[in-house]
Amino acid sequence: MKRCIMMLLATVVMAQGVFAQEKSITIWWAQWDPAVALQELGDEFTEQTGIGVEVHQIPWLSYQDQVFLNFGNKQTDFDIVIGDSQWIGRGATKGLYLELTDWLPGAVDMQTIHPRAARYLCEYPPGSSKFFAAPCETDAIGFVYRKDWFEDPDEKAAFKTKYGRELMVPETWEEFRDIAEFFQRPAQKRYGCSLLTGRGYDSIVMGFQPFLWAWGGAWGDPETFKVQGHLNSAGAVAGLDFFKGLMHFTPEGGTNADYFFNLEAFSNGSTAMVLDYFPFYPGIVATMGDQAGFFKVPSHNGQRFISLGGQGFSISTKTTPEKQALAKQFIAWFSQTEIQKKWITYPGSFTANTELLSSEAFAAASPYNTTFAESLDDLQDFWNVPVYNELIAASVRHLGAALDGTVASADALNALAQEHEMIMMEAGLLEMK
Amino acid sequence: MNQIPGRRRDWIQWGFVGPALLLLIAMNVFPLIYSIVLSFTNADLVGGEWKFVGGLNYKFIFKFAKYGQALRTTALFVLLAVSAELVLGFGLALALLERFRGKTLVLTALMVPMMLPQAVIALFWKLVLNGNYGIFNQLLAGLGFRQPQWITDPDLKLLSVLLVDVWMWTPFMMLISLAALNAIPGYIYEAAAIDRASRWRIFRRITLPMCTPLLGLAVLLRATDALKQFDLVMAITGPNDPATQTLSALLYQAVFRDGKVGLGTAYSYVILVLVIALASIFLRYMDSLQAQQEEVAR
Repeated sequence: MKRCIMMLLATVVMAQGVFAQEKSITIWWAQWDPAVALQELGDEFTEQTGIGVEVHQIPWLSYQDQVFLNFGNKQTDFDIVIGDSQWIGRGATKGLYLELTDWLPGAVDMQTIHPRAARYLCEYPPGSSKFFAAPCETDAIGFVYRKDWFEDPDEKAAFKTKYGRELMVPETWEEFRDIAEFFQRPAQKRYGCSLLTGRGYDSIVMGFQPFLWAWGGAWGDPETFKVQGHLNSAGAVAGLDFFKGLMHFTPEGGTNADYFFNLEAFSNGSTAMVLDYFPFYPGIVATMGDQAGFFKVPSHNGQRFISLGGQGFSISTKTTPEKQALAKQFIAWFSQTEIQKKWITYPGSFTANTELLSSEAFAAASPYNTTFAESLDDLQDFWNVPVYNELIAASVRHLGAALDGTVASADALNALAQEHEMIMMEAGLLEMK
Repeated sequence: MNQIPGRRRDWIQWGFVGPALLLLIAMNVFPLIYSIVLSFTNADLVGGEWKFVGGLNYKFIFKFAKYGQALRTTALFVLLAVSAELVLGFGLALALLERFRGKTLVLTALMVPMMLPQAVIALFWKLVLNGNYGIFNQLLAGLGFRQPQWITDPDLKLLSVLLVDVWMWTPFMMLISLAALNAIPGYIYEAAAIDRASRWRIFRRITLPMCTPLLGLAVLLRATDALKQFDLVMAITGPNDPATQTLSALLYQAVFRDGKVGLGTAYSYVILVLVIALASIFLRYMDSLQAQQEEVAR
C-alpha cells in the first residue's frame, strides 16, 4: 500500500513537471548583459503568471549561424528570437517570423515607441506598418572618451596653442579628426581614436555608415534597390576617404577593430576616443568611473547619422500556437511602461519608450543614458532585405580592402556597388540586366 | 553436392548484396543526385519553397570574382603549406634517422601538434599572434624588433594561417618520411659505399627516389586535407576575409551565413570537377614514377 501511494505521488509530481514545462517559453539571444537582465525580468514574469521563461544565451560570434540553422528545422528550439535589426527581412519573407501586424498595436502602445525603433526594429519593409517584431533592446553607436585627458589643463593649453580653440567634445567630424591627431602619440602608447573597422561580421559596416550618409552617399535607393550612383557617388567616396584618413590616429591593428577590440583599446587606457555600441559601456563605467565620458557621433555639414543597433522580439512560426500565445503574453507584459522602467535599471538595457527616454530618472541612471537618448533621432540602418548578409559580407571585403590601402576608395566603392547590384538582382529585388 | 536452383540462387545473392546496395544508394547515390538537383535551384538553408533557376547559380560563380579568388587562395595555400611541410618534415626525418639518446622523447614532443584538434590549435595561435598582447610580439618587442599585426595585416594574414598549418602538420610528413627512410634496405647503401658514391649522390640516386612513392602518398593525403582547410581560417581570420578565404570558408559563408544552399552546392560541383582533374593528373604522375622505378629495378 505504502509503495502504491509513493508511486502515485511520484506520478503526480512528474505530471506537474510536465505541465509546468508546457507553460513555458524559450527565448534565444546573444550572450551579453541585457540577456542576463531579461532572464531576471523573465523570472518575475514567471512569479506573476506561472509561465516559465528561459533565456538561452549564445556567444555573439555564432549567434546568427545558430539561429538560422535552427530555423532550418521543422520546429525551432526557441519560441522567441531576439534578432538583429537586419534579420527582419529574411525572417519576414522566408516565413520564419510570425506576422504581428494585427496583434502588436493592440498589445503595445506604439505611440510610446520611438519612431526609428519602430521603423527599423519592428517593420518590414521599413515604414510599411507591417510588424514582425516588438522592440526589445534599442541600440545605437556612440563614443566613449577619456574625460580626464580632455579636462587636463596642460592638454587643454597645448590643444589651444595648436588648433586655436578649446579642447572639448567634438561636434563635427573635422573637430574629431583634430582631436584624434592631437592625442596620437604612439611613442607614449597613446592613440587618438579607434573606430569600427572589424571584418568578422558587420562592425566595419556600422563604422562606415555615419561617414557614408553624412557625406551625402547612401547604400542605395530603398524603392528601386539601385545601388550605382548612390554607394559610389562622389560624396560616398569623400566619406570613405575621410574615414580612411582617421586610420592614421588609431592604435596598432586599428584598421581591423571590432566591438571587442575597441573595448580593449579603451579599457587598457591607451585610446582617447572609441566607438562602440552603448550596451557595451557598463563595464567601462564600472572599471574607469569618471575617467570615461560619452558623446554622440559627430556631424559633417550639419548632417548627422548614427548606425542603429538593437534587436526586437520575434515569434517563431515554427513553434506551437500555444507557445506563440504565451510568447505574445510575455512580449505584451515586457512592453508595459512599468516593466520598461525596471528594464532600464539593468546595465546595458535600453528602451524604445519615448516617455522613459526623456525622463530624468533615465538620464540619472547612467553617465551615457543622455547621450544615448539624444542619439536616437539620428538613427539609420543598413539594408534589412533578405540578402542582408551577402550585402554585409561584400561590404566587409571591399571596405576592408580600401582601409588596408590595397585599392583606392573610389575603386572599392565602384566594385562594391557592382557586387551589391548583382546580389540584389540574384535576389530578385532588382531587374536582371 | 546439391545445386541451388537458379532463381533461388539469384534471391540469395540479392539478399547478401541488397542491404549494402540500399545503404550505398541512401547514403551516397541519393545525396549526390539530390545535390545536383539542388545546384539548379534557389534552395535556402531555412527551408521554404524553392524553384528551379536553371544555370543561374553556375553563372554567378563564374561572374563573382570572390569564387575565383577563393580558388586561387586555396591553391596557393595548398602549394605553400604542403611544400613547406614536405621539406621540413623530410629534413627532420633525416636528422632523426640515426639512433641517439632521448630520440623517443624528441619524436613524441614533435608529434604533439598534430594530435591536438585544429580548432584548439587555431584559438591558441590566435592568442599567440595577437598584434597587441600576443606573446610572439612581446618577444619581438623584447628583442627590439618591429611588432607586425600578424592576423590583421592583409599581407600577413595568409602567412599566419600557413605558419600554424606548417607547425601542425610537419610532424605528419616527418613520420611518413621516417617510415620511408627506414624501409630502404641497408645493403643498397653498403653497395653504394663500396662504389665510393658521394653522400649527395647517395641521397639523390638512392634515398630520394626510394622514398618518393611514400612521400607522394603523404603529399596526396596532405594536399587533400589542406584543400579542405577550414578550422584554422575560421578561428584565426573568419570565413569572410578575402586574404584567407579558402574554398571551405567560402562555402560555409555561402551556405550557413547567406543560406544559399543552391549556390553553395553548385560551387561544390565546380570544385569537385577541378579536384578530380587535379587528382587524376597527380595519380598518373605517381604511376609513371612507379613504372620508371620498376624499370630501373629490372
